[in-house]
Amino acid sequence: MQQGGERVAIVTERAFPLQQPSKLRWLRIPEAYSIRIASLVVLAIVWQLASLAFTERYVPGPVSTFSALWDLATSGQLMKHFEVTMIRMLVSFALAMVVGMAIGTVMGLYRRAEQSLDLIVMVGLTIPGLCYIIVAFMWLGLNDRAAVLAIAWTTFPAIAINIWQGVKAIDQRLIDMARVFGASGWRRTVRVVIPQVLPYLMAAARFGLGIIWKVTVLVELLGRSDGIGYMLNYSFQMFNMADVFAWTIFFTIVMLAIELTILKPIERRMFLWRPEIRA
Amino acid sequence: MADIAVQGLSKVYQSRAHPDGLLALDNVDLAVADHEFVCLLGPSGCGKTTVLNVLSGLEQKYAGEVSVAGRLVSRRNGHSFRVGYVFQEPRLLPWLTVRGNIEFALESESIPGSEWRKRTDNWLNRVGLADFAESHPHELSGGMQQRTAIARAFAVDPEMLLMDEPFSGLDELTARTMRELLLALWLETRKTVIFVTHNCFEACFLADRIVVFSSRPGKIRKEVTVELARPRNYEDSRLFELSVSVTHYVTGKQAA
Repeated sequence: MQQGGERVAIVTERAFPLQQPSKLRWLRIPEAYSIRIASLVVLAIVWQLASLAFTERYVPGPVSTFSALWDLATSGQLMKHFEVTMIRMLVSFALAMVVGMAIGTVMGLYRRAEQSLDLIVMVGLTIPGLCYIIVAFMWLGLNDRAAVLAIAWTTFPAIAINIWQGVKAIDQRLIDMARVFGASGWRRTVRVVIPQVLPYLMAAARFGLGIIWKVTVLVELLGRSDGIGYMLNYSFQMFNMADVFAWTIFFTIVMLAIELTILKPIERRMFLWRPEIRA
Repeated sequence: MADIAVQGLSKVYQSRAHPDGLLALDNVDLAVADHEFVCLLGPSGCGKTTVLNVLSGLEQKYAGEVSVAGRLVSRRNGHSFRVGYVFQEPRLLPWLTVRGNIEFALESESIPGSEWRKRTDNWLNRVGLADFAESHPHELSGGMQQRTAIARAFAVDPEMLLMDEPFSGLDELTARTMRELLLALWLETRKTVIFVTHNCFEACFLADRIVVFSSRPGKIRKEVTVELARPRNYEDSRLFELSVSVTHYVTGKQAA
């Protein structure tokens, strides 16, 4: 079969996506990575040049930023505040996922629920997180309960919308196929329904994390006396630009690490079967 | 394998457009013998697919009695016999390989895991997909996906095989090869087949017996027994003549 031969070629190509010819072959770095590394190097150079142009007082360069970061780490402050922020984030993330998934699923399954909730969820998404934060602190006081509630409240509409779309996109025809072949309700759910919703669940988690980073530091700035948001504000009050930069870059590194070591590998494992999108 | 008896089957669809209900099937009687290949032929919207859905247990609300191999199809618990179903679209699970898709059906039909490999390899071989067991559906052409669906339907060793216009989404050349493949597999296994189509020539080429439906409400208008010997040949002029007269039954015009 001639067509068959062609198909085999595509399969082989898919199996080794990183074996493309590289300009940095002597370093044995695949091209996909070398471009990214190069872009980071360029960014660092631009940063250093900006620092020279506008003076260290306004734009601390990479060297002074990382030495500030080093000082924060060795003094123990970095870990202390990072831990607090992380816990707040994870608890509110879990809360937002549970609530968002429940509401999104109900909306996707029942037309009545969809009609009564879609506007409310949209409005919930539109109201600035700051409003929720202020209201939560005014109602519950300046404590962690209010902080977690405000963060989760700001985040869950985005998660609910993603899950809602995912549940709506479930292909009933595949479920019918499974029924005809005698699959039990449990097997249909686990083997046919959930795999269809997983991509949306992944998108919801990613969306949720993206919002949560931003809201958590805001909450800490407004109503807590620890955490990275609080420390950013503290550095601002001291007009310590190097510390502001150090906290920001630390946060960015943590985010990147979570993306590269947790989200990306999960996605790659889950969606290995997917066709590559070619430009 | 099993004989099928349908008595007084009626089906009313309730919908927003038809609050009083739309009669899709009106008092249909149909008997299919063991090992028989029957085509249900008629225009779209005549309720052919509804018959398959009732037989497969997908459709639970209907009037009348349906029994397979002498057992009444239970409306509450679904079926107690194995069904092989080939849909108009392949309906493969995109995240599973070709092998995984067939094994999903075997697992659903509670076939012991020790048999999966042998059965899957055997049927993939017969439909000409032995080299594609580890491919995913999106890597296959439409015809190859439908071959996978056919292998899946045969692999569960069904008591009846239900096919709902399985070749209507394919180009005519591919459809021809697929019809010949299906007949070859059927001659080997002699499953009881109910094959729904709106293509008169296809019905004449495949069937032992053609049941012609009229539309809205779906009723049996005519039954035609196809006497042509097997294996049949596409170029056979008798096949062509038969398909012309069957076409007249479908359109309701008198033969010239």
